[in-house]
Amino acid sequence: MSALLSKWFQTIKISWSNLLAYRLNFFLLIIGPAFVFFFVKYNLWYSIFQGDKTILVGGYTLEQMIHYQFFTLITALIAQSSNGMKLSSDIRLGRISVFLIYPFNFWQYHCAHFLAFQSIQVIVGLLSISIFYYLGLIYNLSMTSCIYGFSFCIIVGVLWFSIQYLIGLMAFWLEETWILRVSFLTISNFLSGAIIPLELYPKWLVNGLWYTPFPYLTFVPVKVFQGQFDMVNTAFFVIVFWTFVFACISYFTWRKGLRLYTGAGM
Amino acid sequence: MKNILKHYASVYHGFLQTSLSEATSFRLNFFLFIIMDIIFFCSSVMSVHIIYQHIEKIGIWSLTEFMFFLSFSLLVDQIHMAFIAENFWYFSDDIRMGNLDFFIIKPISTIFSVFFRHIRPASCINILFTGAYFVYCSKQAGLSNLFILVSPLFVILALLLMVSLEILLSCSMFFMVESMGINFLRMQFQKLSRWPDFVYGYMSQKVFTFAIPILLISNAPIKFLLNPTDITPLLYMLIAIVVTILLIRIAWAHGLRAYESVSS
Repeated sequence: MSALLSKWFQTIKISWSNLLAYRLNFFLLIIGPAFVFFFVKYNLWYSIFQGDKTILVGGYTLEQMIHYQFFTLITALIAQSSNGMKLSSDIRLGRISVFLIYPFNFWQYHCAHFLAFQSIQVIVGLLSISIFYYLGLIYNLSMTSCIYGFSFCIIVGVLWFSIQYLIGLMAFWLEETWILRVSFLTISNFLSGAIIPLELYPKWLVNGLWYTPFPYLTFVPVKVFQGQFDMVNTAFFVIVFWTFVFACISYFTWRKGLRLYTGAGM
Repeated sequence: MKNILKHYASVYHGFLQTSLSEATSFRLNFFLFIIMDIIFFCSSVMSVHIIYQHIEKIGIWSLTEFMFFLSFSLLVDQIHMAFIAENFWYFSDDIRMGNLDFFIIKPISTIFSVFFRHIRPASCINILFTGAYFVYCSKQAGLSNLFILVSPLFVILALLLMVSLEILLSCSMFFMVESMGINFLRMQFQKLSRWPDFVYGYMSQKVFTFAIPILLISNAPIKFLLNPTDITPLLYMLIAIVVTILLIRIAWAHGLRAYESVSS
């Protein structure tokens, strides 16, 4: 047991070093895009409200909308950390041959890499939320909603990882999996409430969206951060359900893909 | 001069042929590229439509004017994705792996062979779609047929500014060990340039118009097309293009001197 734990710990440690080896690159790859996305949304919504704090758009005042957007940034920083980029290149370049003989398998390795990534993102998220709170940009943040919010984002992070893992496995069939990754990111940004809160969408669309994992990727975690705990229990089970679904599909995809694997590039 | 142009045209023809045969070898990828572009297009258009269901205007623009701007910016983006975008990703790899050597020794401009070599044929198909949407939005915005006919010129100008700014930014890759992040920064600049300038605050507007003129890419041509009596934005754009090209010459020369040809 301790030997297995040690393998996990060492892999996480190595992943930490790899991720932080080029810090500017890490910032530009992971943290920069989330902040630029927020910067655009902040300016856009400020311009829509024309700086007027009394106007209501879809039931939101300017202050509430900016508050919502701050929490979408925090959610993106914590939950959307995994990208499966390394995973697909491992398959395409024939590097998984090593994992087939190692006592630490492919999934374990990438899961450990994800945990390393996630832990860095939690620190970045904590730092960001502290700075925003200190500057008064986030208000009414209780310790309970903060703990619930962070825990919820970590669970969403696991769902995000399971989706990205499945997309990465498509490298058994596809030359480039980034196309699927970018497509999924575009759809999820649009349908998860990352740009526009779901209250502003047509009702028929929102009703349909609740049957998909999208609202749980951004909208629900933001609401949890804002202290709305009424949907926490249901949301938790829904996320676990979707994670299980994607994990099962990944398992069968891996088995099917492995049969096609030729070890190209070895 | 004529011979040089002919030579470059024949080289570009070669680039087109290799890109096409490469793209058709992976057919599923080819179709996925088309789907990805359609998803991006639809999500951008629908986002703006959803916002306008709750308001009359954003800044000074109604839905028609905003969609005209958006369609122009999406068209520029689509052409960029089809003919240029892919090359920036290869460039960072080429520097890291020392493959740039093979471009430097070729008897044509290195910048040309580095940034115009890879073409994405799947995205070319979607240019027709975004182009048609741009014409539709131009009509909706009340643009005359004459202006619609000359608008390709503005698309080229916007593309020229966008690409030259990106090449200038990419010159920083020469000085970095891992330069993937620069490509992400480039994409963030694109993201910023897709919105009208009045969306941004005073300081951001000034910075992104004069210091890093990304807001001029779509804003200058659209402002001119909507109000042809004011040529100031177009003048700014032309100045920005000239200055950026001059800076590229300096930065590229410095970059090549710093290039260590690692792994080659």
